[in-house]
Amino acid sequence: MQTQDLIEALSSDLRRVPPHALERRLGAAAALGMMVTLILVLVGLGLRPDLARAILGGMFWLKLGYTASIGLGALAMTATLARPEASHISALKWLLIPMALMGLLGVVDLAETPFSAWGYLWMGRSWKICPFLIFALAIPIYLGLMIAFHRFAPSRLMMTGAVAGLAAGGLAATIYCLHCPEASPLFVLTWYTLGMALAGLAGALAGERLLRW
Amino acid sequence: MRESEDELRALMIAGLGGDARAHHALLSAAARLLRSFFMRRHRDASDVEDLVQDTLVAIHTRRATYDTARHVTAWIYAVARYKLIDHLRRRRLGTNIEGLEEVLAVEGFESATSARMDVDRMLDTLPAKQAMAIRDTRLDGMSIAEAAVQRGISESDVKISVHRGLKALAARLKGGR
Repeated sequence: MQTQDLIEALSSDLRRVPPHALERRLGAAAALGMMVTLILVLVGLGLRPDLARAILGGMFWLKLGYTASIGLGALAMTATLARPEASHISALKWLLIPMALMGLLGVVDLAETPFSAWGYLWMGRSWKICPFLIFALAIPIYLGLMIAFHRFAPSRLMMTGAVAGLAAGGLAATIYCLHCPEASPLFVLTWYTLGMALAGLAGALAGERLLRW
Repeated sequence: MRESEDELRALMIAGLGGDARAHHALLSAAARLLRSFFMRRHRDASDVEDLVQDTLVAIHTRRATYDTARHVTAWIYAVARYKLIDHLRRRRLGTNIEGLEEVLAVEGFESATSARMDVDRMLDTLPAKQAMAIRDTRLDGMSIAEAAVQRGISESDVKISVHRGLKALAARLKGGR
């Protein structure tokens, strides 16, 4: 095919691209993935029995704030990485702030707790499954983001996959808060973060293949 | 005909708004930019047109990734760079990948692009004939005779325009623009 003919074909039947089409597409994909994850939590895991009481306390919201800030922060970065000029993501370091805050809370918590109970603060009752549940719940959101990326032009594929995985992990962990009754900052810092990191790692590996264009 | 960054950006934005003629003009201009981009980096001429077409399709289908606050040429070259690297990776060829480091080096590329844009901006401050003569002979590599034929002016006219234009630019640079 001649290049001139190609240009004719591409510019005939041109559709308008509304402003912020990229951000809207990403947001819609994340929202759809989160719906699937929410359904999985509701049907497969169930809400935590004390949810009505928990939402009156501070720890529920601190947990939610922790995972949501990482999830939404990483999601915002994927919007940058969706553009071909993106070379590096300096904003990634801001995700250390929620981690540091959660760590601070953990230290305070330790200071107020007798040494004999420290193990429970760290491991809770669900440390063995928590990271893997978060990882599994991240998959629908990650796939949603990958579908959105079919129209994007990332140039750093591994990095983009990692940040998309982290976003999916953070958003999945936020929904998982509806199920998980653990209330220790150290537990959240360790096991929730591990689940999100696993999602980021897998996202990097899968992204290198899924994101090619 | 070489469109400036501002013209290309206006075409791109109109195209995003649904203006098919602007989009056509943008793709045509992009095709010229891409052809010389790939020629400089990839010697196999039969591949160059494939790369140009491949990149044009990407520019079209992925146009939502253009941030209207940024340089459209930088965006076009970023798409082109990805397509070239992808092409070379697919082929894993031992032929001529001379200059690949240069393509891969994002920083160097950005500064080269912006240097080019600085040149464009400076040329825009000159009278049109002088700017055109400098572009033709000093940037696009035409001979004085070719430029004269292309523009339909005499050779001495081209020479004088280049000379006066460069002198004006030099004076401006000395005076800190």
